Amino acid sequence: MNPSHHPSEALLIDYSAGSLDAASELVIGAHVGSCAACARDVSLLDKVGGALLDDLPPAPTALDALATALARIERPAPVASPGAAQRTDWIRVPSAVLEAATKRRRWAAPGVWIAPVTGDRRGKRAYLLRIAKGMSVPRHTHRGDEMVVVLKGVYVDGGVSHHPGDFAENAVELVHKPEATMDGECICLIAADGALVPRDWVGRLFQPFVGI
Amino acid sequence: MIVLIARKRDRGAFATLFEHFAPRVKSYMLRLGVANDAAEELAQEALLTVWRKAEAYDPAKSAASTWIFAIARNLRIDVARRDNRAPPRDDPVLELSSPPAPDAAISANEDEVRVGEAIATLPPDQARVIALAFFSDKPHSEIAAELKLPLGTVKSRLRLAMIRLRARLEDDLR
Repeated sequence: MNPSHHPSEALLIDYSAGSLDAASELVIGAHVGSCAACARDVSLLDKVGGALLDDLPPAPTALDALATALARIERPAPVASPGAAQRTDWIRVPSAVLEAATKRRRWAAPGVWIAPVTGDRRGKRAYLLRIAKGMSVPRHTHRGDEMVVVLKGVYVDGGVSHHPGDFAENAVELVHKPEATMDGECICLIAADGALVPRDWVGRLFQPFVGI
Repeated sequence: MIVLIARKRDRGAFATLFEHFAPRVKSYMLRLGVANDAAEELAQEALLTVWRKAEAYDPAKSAASTWIFAIARNLRIDVARRDNRAPPRDDPVLELSSPPAPDAAISANEDEVRVGEAIATLPPDQARVIALAFFSDKPHSEIAAELKLPLGTVKSRLRLAMIRLRARLEDDLR
């Protein structure tokens, strides 16, 4: 099924231009990888990038630039290490995301685990959030805006269902309590500026564990 | 040209491609604030990547400039992130593919001309934010701050630009 919630054109342009932080780029990239319409937009934007590049006034390069390049192509290419195998029950994600799910998960609340994905200390951080079947994340708000993409399962937030590939951008002031449906667990990839700020006693009880 | 590199490891084709694109990739890097030596090195790396990944290039899908743009963009991102453990950019577009059809290159190059024309017909306000988006290394939120424009204005200009580009190009591009 094609996702029904999409990032703004402005975010797709940032994605194609390469100006997003690593965490946001992971979230948008996961959506684009599972959404035919946004993939088409990004492919169009990459063409725009190509046309703009081709139109740039050439900058003078070193006199021996071509000779250097011709010497370099003779050398053997480094062998790329194969990434982790994709999971058939998730939408496609880079191997760093899959590794986080197996190596770095920690319990955050009943039925909820989180797993940090990027180690970037500056700007937004990416993490996985898993909500068990029928459970919810304790009511909370955020220290900054967050972007979410569903990797597996379905969650309901404010009466709206989010399916695999669906994208959501939640403003800093939003107070919410996303819930996984009874069909099964829900796993999301999230890019956020800071920790969740719990808004009820259950959340406060578990706050020490949610040190994202 | 890239197809010749893939099929025959043609050094002459590589030299031609290098002389056209290396100075443009360097120019792109300089615009993004990369220092001269690093920009020179990234231009080298980008063209070296073209040589190594030539088999993955699909001329039916993208013009050479589009493909080289994606390579250059990703290289710069990866270099910038090397220090902070963020994963490299994942790009299925660069990990293809089935063997290209022999005449496909023509259509991708026509696309490129049409994209250029489409950009040229954007209203100046929209063209400006598009150019800044691609050449300033800033997300649209920071571009808005720099232009002293409300975020909503920049977002809507980008959206309108996108709608125009789609309308002009999508009938032609599969």
